[in-house]
Amino acid sequence: MIIAFRSSVEGVLLACLAFREDPGSELIFASDVGELKGKLDLSGIEGEINMVGFDPSYRSESLSKEIFGKSKPRMASFDPDPLRYVDLLLRHKECDPAGLVRLLVFCNGDTDGLYSGKGKIAKRYYNYMREVGKAYERLCMFARPELKGGILSVVIDTPHDIADMFCRWLVRKNPDVPVAVIKNSSAWVGNGDLIGLDRFAKITASFVESLRSTSTSDDVDELWDLYYNSQMIDSRRNPGLAKKVQPKSSASMSKMSKRDRYKVERGIAGCTLDSFA
Amino acid sequence: MSAYRQNEHHLTLSERMQILSAGTKYDSCNQSAVCHAFGPDGRCIQLYKTLLSNSCAGECAYCPNRCERETKRASLEPAEIAKITWSFYRRNAIEGLFLSSGIMGDAEYTSQKQLEVVELLRGQGFKGYINIRVMPGTPKYLLEQIADHADKFGVNAETTNSVNYSEICPNFDYKNDVLQRLKWTRDLIEKKRSEYCGMGKMVGANDTQFVVGAVPESDKEVVKTVHKFMDKYALRRPYFMSFDPVPDTPLENGSPSPKWREQRLYQMSFLLKDYGLRSSDLDEIYDEHGYLSNADPKEVLARSQPDRFPVDINSAEMSDLLLVPGIGPISANRIVRARPIVSEQELSRVGVVVSRARPYISINGSRQTNLSSFIGACS
Repeated sequence: MIIAFRSSVEGVLLACLAFREDPGSELIFASDVGELKGKLDLSGIEGEINMVGFDPSYRSESLSKEIFGKSKPRMASFDPDPLRYVDLLLRHKECDPAGLVRLLVFCNGDTDGLYSGKGKIAKRYYNYMREVGKAYERLCMFARPELKGGILSVVIDTPHDIADMFCRWLVRKNPDVPVAVIKNSSAWVGNGDLIGLDRFAKITASFVESLRSTSTSDDVDELWDLYYNSQMIDSRRNPGLAKKVQPKSSASMSKMSKRDRYKVERGIAGCTLDSFA
Repeated sequence: MSAYRQNEHHLTLSERMQILSAGTKYDSCNQSAVCHAFGPDGRCIQLYKTLLSNSCAGECAYCPNRCERETKRASLEPAEIAKITWSFYRRNAIEGLFLSSGIMGDAEYTSQKQLEVVELLRGQGFKGYINIRVMPGTPKYLLEQIADHADKFGVNAETTNSVNYSEICPNFDYKNDVLQRLKWTRDLIEKKRSEYCGMGKMVGANDTQFVVGAVPESDKEVVKTVHKFMDKYALRRPYFMSFDPVPDTPLENGSPSPKWREQRLYQMSFLLKDYGLRSSDLDEIYDEHGYLSNADPKEVLARSQPDRFPVDINSAEMSDLLLVPGIGPISANRIVRARPIVSEQELSRVGVVVSRARPYISINGSRQTNLSSFIGACS
């Protein structure tokens, strides 16, 4: 028996139920039916195939209750709930959805197993989940979208699949402008109805780039630098704390926060070329 | 040109923005969970903080913007503030606006201008956070209108009593211009809370600011005043600003207040606000003159009560857990929900700073160290 499931939250939960019934099954995952067919052809596996999660039914909540029960996990009150846990985990660059299904079934409804980090795999997956959560928070903190050509857009470079999450966050913050988050060759667009697209859609990055290129840069960067410098209190300089809250890796997400970080490292120069005039 | 702008030189928008933002750099929260921007010194600057104008009719003895002082005067129009706020907000550099001002003519006119800014922003669909520092003596009808738009607003108390206040802010009356406004603010917030009940809409809380060290008042007096304001005016958050003598002001020869004093007072206010302690519970922390030392007040309090420790993580009451250094209200709540805790690793996971808590706790009866040996090691 082969359980073929979609690598989505619902697909993983449905695969858990199927795998619980038949623990000896092979697990194969894919993002859509086309990819699944390709995988099956390539592997040459033959047998009865139970395909789950490819027809979305939007019942993740009830599936979650079926698998994890209704009671709140002991250690999860400060971590995301199990549904969110699975969602974040699937976005990790190294996540193996089949391994996740096995872990969830192994926990057998005991959600504390997911959070306690006692087993080697549980610990690794818990850390994956935290890494994705942190990467998302860092994006919210350090990405600096630009309003160009009537679209608020930003290019991100993250190994995890969180562009859509960040796009939704930007949409919540800016409900009145179209928003685009570009990652590699694709872009997530929010409030797309304002420019004749679907409200939330995945399109090619080149389309957004063509919109952006019609407009020149504004002077917000310069204004921000002035404001940022004006907030400096030299007697309260605390480089240790500043570096902690503005880590080098995250600050390089945008030119603006990169410059801010440079000032953290070097301080703000007191003398300029004008001083020599 | 308005009367309050007569002394202004011809300055560009950037220059005015710089001058007026610098006027608010001491207004910092010193605590934030997620900030979109941090200053070069590590302080959070998640808001666009600015004065509407630094021209001021007031003669506050400590203030660099007092009317008699020679300084570069500038102001921003409401539309200019709105434009800058939008630019930063769209760029995801800020989450909102913090707007204060010098008194442009009188409190009523200044508050009207502040109201213009908020109405403009909200009218343009701005959904970010707005904090307005209203002027002492602002009329009630304006407070009501500001309450409709601002997330947070309040008047600065600056000091603990009317005698001190009249000494540093001679143009205003403590009882009428400050305390009465704090009371109105409380009433307005309560009204908003009942109106928005169940609608999931955020309602701000009353807050105020104290200038620490401008007049000789002890930390004990400040903390008692904060506690009184919490009881009487539902004050949620006091802010403290260390006094720094400014040249050409009546207090130019005063001594600057040490920066750590501001930090310790914030910690004391958190003990009142988040830990449910009363100001009388904290009397043991002060020296004989009523001042704090440069040490974590909660640690000092815990060391002064060695008979209360160790507390057992798995059986202690919430109120006892809260007294342990390294355990805050959130981690105490998590401990209660996550019991039984079996290891320090689990404690660490729930957010406890184990290295600080270790001398004061036991886990199912076993301890890593005891308080007296810890104090000995420290000394």
